Amino acid sequence: MAGLSINSITKRFGETEVLRDVTLDIADAEFVSLVGPSGCGKSTLLRIIAGLEDPTGGEIAIDGEAVTGMRAADRNLSMVFQSYALYPHLTVAENIAVPLRMRSLSAGQRLPVIGPFLPGSKDKRAEITAAVKDAAEMLEIGALLDRKPGQLSGGQRQRVALGRALVRSPAAFLLDEPLSNLDAKLRVQTRAEIAQLHRRLNATFIYVTHDQVEAMTMSDRIAVMMDGEILQCDSPSIIYEDPNDIRVAEFIGSPKINILPVELHERTLSLFDKPVGRTAIGAKAGVYQLGLRPEAIHLAKSDPLLTGTVAHVENLGAEVFAQVELAGQTARVTCRAAPAARDQLRLGAEIGLSFDLADALIFDADGKRQRGVEVTLDQPVEAA
Amino acid sequence: MAVIDSTAIPRKPTQVNRQARTAWGLATPALALMFLILLVPVVVAAVLSFTNYSLGNSGFDWVGFKNYGRLFTRSTYEKMFIATFSYVVVVVPVSVALGLGAALLVNSLGRFGDVYKTIYFLPVMATLLAMAIVWEFMLHPTIGVINQTLEMACGTVLEVIPFVAKGCADGFPLWLGDKDYAIWVLCFIGIWQGFGFNMVLYLAGLTAVHRELYHAAEMDGAKSAWEWFRLVTWPALGPTTVFVVTISCIRAFQVFDTVEAFWPQGGGPNKSTYVMMFAIFEKGVQQNLIGIGSAITMLFLVFVMFLTLIQRWLVERKVHY
Repeated sequence: MAGLSINSITKRFGETEVLRDVTLDIADAEFVSLVGPSGCGKSTLLRIIAGLEDPTGGEIAIDGEAVTGMRAADRNLSMVFQSYALYPHLTVAENIAVPLRMRSLSAGQRLPVIGPFLPGSKDKRAEITAAVKDAAEMLEIGALLDRKPGQLSGGQRQRVALGRALVRSPAAFLLDEPLSNLDAKLRVQTRAEIAQLHRRLNATFIYVTHDQVEAMTMSDRIAVMMDGEILQCDSPSIIYEDPNDIRVAEFIGSPKINILPVELHERTLSLFDKPVGRTAIGAKAGVYQLGLRPEAIHLAKSDPLLTGTVAHVENLGAEVFAQVELAGQTARVTCRAAPAARDQLRLGAEIGLSFDLADALIFDADGKRQRGVEVTLDQPVEAA
Repeated sequence: MAVIDSTAIPRKPTQVNRQARTAWGLATPALALMFLILLVPVVVAAVLSFTNYSLGNSGFDWVGFKNYGRLFTRSTYEKMFIATFSYVVVVVPVSVALGLGAALLVNSLGRFGDVYKTIYFLPVMATLLAMAIVWEFMLHPTIGVINQTLEMACGTVLEVIPFVAKGCADGFPLWLGDKDYAIWVLCFIGIWQGFGFNMVLYLAGLTAVHRELYHAAEMDGAKSAWEWFRLVTWPALGPTTVFVVTISCIRAFQVFDTVEAFWPQGGGPNKSTYVMMFAIFEKGVQQNLIGIGSAITMLFLVFVMFLTLIQRWLVERKVHY
């Protein structure tokens, strides 16, 4: 088990820059997710950590030891691939045993017929068999050891791939979208199991996914990547509640965060050219973007800030999400409501929405978070 | 629901019947052709192999197993079996191994791969009959380029090799005219002509190897090319190998045109290259002994059938995952 440090890694494929100056420190036994849309470079970063790809610039160190330029086989890392990459001709037991056989048996001892009879081979083979059995029991695939991968379901293959990764004690586990080939139900179950496995093994996990739910539910820290950069790396709650960048706010959270354009004139905020009776302190005049999570918007009993018609309703049972087409605007706003409000949220119904500006995340026109801005109830100037 | 079900049940058998009739109707042309051009000739050949029929004769006599008896007693046919099996046993493993080696090398090349692919595939595309003439020139004992090249080694350090020393003293081999060399020359040409085809089949097989498996092997600690080959490439090529070996065996059993081009008068020096196909041609066509020709044909069919069955068995049991 070891920590990892990634120091200003860049990667170029010809003219295309896939990673720019990525720096990330991962502590021992930490679970870090690399999350981002496809093509953001997260898989490339993982493969560079693994040693399957060479960085154009920058350094990688495992447990303080520089490994840049060292080949993957020597880095003592385990990887679970998206396609699982199980050896189709080997049984489950043989698949799990491969990393141990390659490392502890000599080339001669691995030979098919005479190998088992060479000196020292018998003891090592017994050790390997025991280790494979332990790993299989931990993942509850003990009954499948004699099957070939072709005879397994997706979930079972996934467990075998995990087994092959954890049968030896690597410095860190690298997981490349391991759940993307599973069906939705199994994905939720396996998600919990991987998180449990992490707690049990107390090992360093680096997990690549495009699914923000996976990242949110499993990680100690999430590194949100976009266009070859890490935009923010923080705990899931900070990433959700206190994002640095509008792209992070938009990527994390489902349904997506609502972004409303606001303008600030002489300390008075106006939304869609309509003053909202609030004052912002600590910001220059100009155009800003207001980020509002669906749960921050509620149905207004009186004096709504926004009005519109219900365009689409998603009833999830425990909660209802309504997409509201704002009056006079093309933009839609998603709001969350309690199931009791379902009657109000009929399609085409005119409703008023309101929100507390304290819940809003304020970004500037370039999408950078404006933290020093304080919004208060409007105090008429002449009254002060 | 119950009402619908009760009316649906009697309708079902007729529907099945109609479907079955359509299926048979559609399969009939293929079945008829298979009978006419495959099974009937085989049966005819099988029947003729028990007779002494000659083309043009009005009748024939049943001779029982006499034709087959001859095949296993006469020394000519013993030579036929020796020549055929020597050829198969040498050509198949060597051309499969060379094909695999060439495919792996070509596959590892980037830009120049296509050039090598074309070069190695040229002998497959070339007509063997035309190529045989070129080989005949090259192998000519006195004016051939091979013996002339070998003679250049005389008087140099290369004379320490016994073969060169002997050649310089007593003259180099006659190749096509020497009963000790003829079959091996035939094998060499067979390999030269055939391995490019195996290479193409292996190249196709290599494209199906999952890239990520190599990465998995690397992560699992496989460091050398040999370990990668053992762990990933070779098992993945299993189905290709079975196919390539079977095809090569059948092609090797069918060798004919080189023998006919080099030794049209009958199977090489001392019948050392008297392969089965040539024997069928000589007996059945040249000498009009349809009975014995058919008997060799049946034996040939048995060999090929046996190989095909082994292939089916291997494909179903061993190499499909």
